[in-house]
Amino acid sequence: MTEAVSLIAGLAGLTFAIRLAGYLAGAHLPATGRWARAFDALPGCLIAALVTLLLAEAGRIEGVAAVVAFTVAAATRSLPVTMIAGIATVAGLQAVV
Amino acid sequence: MLSNASDRWHTELWAGQRDILPLALGVATYGLAFGVLAAQADFGVFATAVMGTTVFAGSAQIMAVQQLVAGAGVGAAVVAGAALNLRLLLVTASLRQELRGRPAWQILLGLHLATDENWALLHATRVAGRPAGYWFLVGGGLVLLAVWVVTTATAAAFAQLIPDPDALGLGFAFTAAFVAILRNLWRGLGDVGPWGVSIATTAGLIWLTSLPPAWALVVAGIAGAATAAVTGGGGHADD
Repeated sequence: MTEAVSLIAGLAGLTFAIRLAGYLAGAHLPATGRWARAFDALPGCLIAALVTLLLAEAGRIEGVAAVVAFTVAAATRSLPVTMIAGIATVAGLQAVV
Repeated sequence: MLSNASDRWHTELWAGQRDILPLALGVATYGLAFGVLAAQADFGVFATAVMGTTVFAGSAQIMAVQQLVAGAGVGAAVVAGAALNLRLLLVTASLRQELRGRPAWQILLGLHLATDENWALLHATRVAGRPAGYWFLVGGGLVLLAVWVVTTATAAAFAQLIPDPDALGLGFAFTAAFVAILRNLWRGLGDVGPWGVSIATTAGLIWLTSLPPAWALVVAGIAGAATAAVTGGGGHADD
């Protein structure tokens, strides 16, 4: 039980320190020019990297589902519809293959 | 903004709560998986709920408890889990506009509630032209926190009864969600350069080097943002 307490306290403390450090760094950088363009581009770049990582780790079924998800997302721009299409594709292919 | 700010904050809080619901499904799936793992590590319902509330970072919690179950020491488990959170540096760094000028308690609350999901949804919503700011982030974060704590604690209590989410295709929920969010973050051709650099950096680092994926994400995100800074890519010059 002491192990659990130390683990939770340690991870909670470090995780909040990371969240705070990012904010402090961002707040002290200039809000115009190049820095502004970098921060504007950051969300898309980080999510693009995350999707790349998820797809690199995915199997064949998830790869097909990703193509479906990209197509549905491009057509509908809808978060729930894209999720339903992707999940249904994986479930369907798992049932068949 | 100040004149009608009091009208707007609960409208945004509500919009954030409503719009996050599909993503909450992904979090619930992940929460069930973590709760089962927590039960293996002999975390009770209470410890699991406290961990979810105070850490509030799914992949880091899974990594840390997995390491503990695998026999790593507490220190190594904490470091392995925290390393997965390095991308949160970039997440909270780009919240500076939302947090600027707010009282300390709101800044600390917003930081603790910042996750990939509500942060990405905040930016995607804004690119789509709808208003979304601090309270949108907080609304989404509160729903995710509630869903995370309830699903992890419930799964820790009833670990034997939890079906395998992967068998239902639910393991794909996050990938599909982030594909949709990526589509909504697209601002135009100016994004090609920064996104291309970020994607190529991620792929290169994970296939050609032994750098852990958590670091690859941070390096790739910074490389993409730096590309936008240097080339002027990314579209908006209104800041």
